[in-house]
Amino acid sequence: MPRFDDDQDGVVVVVGSGAGGGTLATDLCRAGVRTVVLEAGPHHQPGQFIDDEWPSFAQLAWLDERTTSGSWRVAQDFPNLPAWTCKTVGGTTTHWAGCCPRFKDWELRMRSEHGPIDGANLLDWPITLEDLEPYYERAEDRMGVTRTNGVPPLPANNNFKVMGNGAQRAGYQDVSTGRMAVNSVPRDGRPATIQDGFNFQGDRQRAHWSTLTSELPKAEATGNLDLRPESHAFRIAHNGGGKVTGVHYLDADGHEQVQKARVVCVAANAIETARLLLLSESPQHPDGLANSSGQLGRNYMRHLTGSVYAEFERPVRMYRGETMAGIVTDESRNDPDRGFVGGYYMQLLALGVPFLAAFLEPGAWGPDFAAKMEAYERTAGMWLVGEDMPQEGNRVTLNRDVTDQHGLPVPNVHFDDHANDVAMREHAYGAGEAVYEAVQAVRTHRVTPYPSTHNLGTARMSADPADGVVDAFGRAHDVPNLFVSDGSVFTTGAAANPTLTIVALATRQAEHIVDEMKAGAL
Amino acid sequence: MSTQAPAGLEQHVAETVTALARTLYPHDAVPDAVYERVPAKIAEAVREDPAQARMVADGVADLDRRGDEPFTKRTGEQRLADAEAVAGSEFFALVRSTAVVEVYSDPATWRVLGYEGPSFAKGGYLRRGFDDLDWLPDLPQEG
Repeated sequence: MPRFDDDQDGVVVVVGSGAGGGTLATDLCRAGVRTVVLEAGPHHQPGQFIDDEWPSFAQLAWLDERTTSGSWRVAQDFPNLPAWTCKTVGGTTTHWAGCCPRFKDWELRMRSEHGPIDGANLLDWPITLEDLEPYYERAEDRMGVTRTNGVPPLPANNNFKVMGNGAQRAGYQDVSTGRMAVNSVPRDGRPATIQDGFNFQGDRQRAHWSTLTSELPKAEATGNLDLRPESHAFRIAHNGGGKVTGVHYLDADGHEQVQKARVVCVAANAIETARLLLLSESPQHPDGLANSSGQLGRNYMRHLTGSVYAEFERPVRMYRGETMAGIVTDESRNDPDRGFVGGYYMQLLALGVPFLAAFLEPGAWGPDFAAKMEAYERTAGMWLVGEDMPQEGNRVTLNRDVTDQHGLPVPNVHFDDHANDVAMREHAYGAGEAVYEAVQAVRTHRVTPYPSTHNLGTARMSADPADGVVDAFGRAHDVPNLFVSDGSVFTTGAAANPTLTIVALATRQAEHIVDEMKAGAL
Repeated sequence: MSTQAPAGLEQHVAETVTALARTLYPHDAVPDAVYERVPAKIAEAVREDPAQARMVADGVADLDRRGDEPFTKRTGEQRLADAEAVAGSEFFALVRSTAVVEVYSDPATWRVLGYEGPSFAKGGYLRRGFDDLDWLPDLPQEG
């Protein structure tokens, strides 16, 4: 791999190598653009991944100090772990089951659909589904999503037989193994799944699309990629003319380096993206870089989340096979008569014994809890993922009282549920229980939301610069050569798992950056 | 109990922590060796931290003071009541949070609970029962 000169100011610097950054960098490299990727985590190969939940967590999770506040239960149960994301080359695509629903047209214009909602900071996206569709098609093709482009569906595993039969008996119509970025047949140089589970532990088998195994190697092959692992970006510099000029980062030895840049793209996941821009404050940008709207760090969304587990008389063995290959989409419709706006999906979910013990009922102990664990082999599980409301007060800020291992202020994540989130979650819990009761569950358990892997909204897109941080291409309203390239740009969260949309947006952004460069505008 | 005291914790402290761990996460078929991971892990954590080591020893003494016999000699029912009584303490929080990780991370526990764990080296579950559930009908797969 080439190592471009730090003073080479013709390169594009991408901060982060996950779904957004890894995809963007790959498209830039293929278009002939020299690209430096700064990744805070180390570069593991799939053979190094650990199929054991806690050791894998220690290997892959973002565990730098963070703090929490607000009324969400995560602040009590996991006060220093507001989110469950990864610090490794490939980012959080190494912790990914592969669910790829698209947004629906109305999910991009929630404000127009519903008008203002008390306490919610709703805004329409500056793009429509029509704008996104061609990029969804390309994203599905590059990711090998099942049920698209002739890729066959995944087979039903044990956990899905339970949820699927229950859903059908409960009257749901659209029940399937879903659209999954998991090879059901060999494709793109990667094998078909051997149903070995451990989808959140890096995926040793390489059947899942990830930027680690599916994108960055292609970027490297162009000769235009300079991937720098263990490089923690902490400040984006700008000049008096209002353009960014480079990125300050700490290398593996903790030494400060500066990489000059023609364009900077931030894709560090919603918490770190906001933190990096806040840390880049200056006299011209006193509230953080590109924050004239005051919206940077605000409108943090983490999806509805919640799970339902159910015990049965006979064995399920939910851990065997693809972790999330099952979906019920009926409740993803927009039907305010249910008592909330927006929709949700029921998706398959399985945890191993170590994580089920940690998350089933955080803090619980005693004979009743042990009895629930004794039923592990007879337990089925589902995850509830739905749209949560953007709120101005749900926010990433710098906690200047607490510093990380580099001496930098840690991010504080404040979160309170909106009444709409609570109403939707209650409905979803009830629906999940009804599914399992339809196939004679012995008992069901409602599981509280745990640290989310879907982190969105902290640098949102807006048509009007007063309402958000970036424009329809993810370009900062305030800084012409600064882009945001991850889920931070989501104006609203929709019900869909975000990765497909992040990839589609990154593909679209790459095209835009290349066009702008060719036009001499960047 | 045959607990070998881990370096850094006195034997009685280690035995009491082991007994408390079993009280918190009771699985009859799980062997003592699994629960002994808890004092071993705590010993590791407090080795360089005398204040924490004292906190653990004090927590054990507090448990012992709650009955005529030491905690390790009490009935299961008594232990449960005593655990409940100290549930707000720092000692309890340390033992519980350590136990929930250690007890459920041990393959001996997995065997008891019917969890087979990693399968990559064995070719996954593709031919080893990923879809062998037979008490519900197969679902039709549309294209």
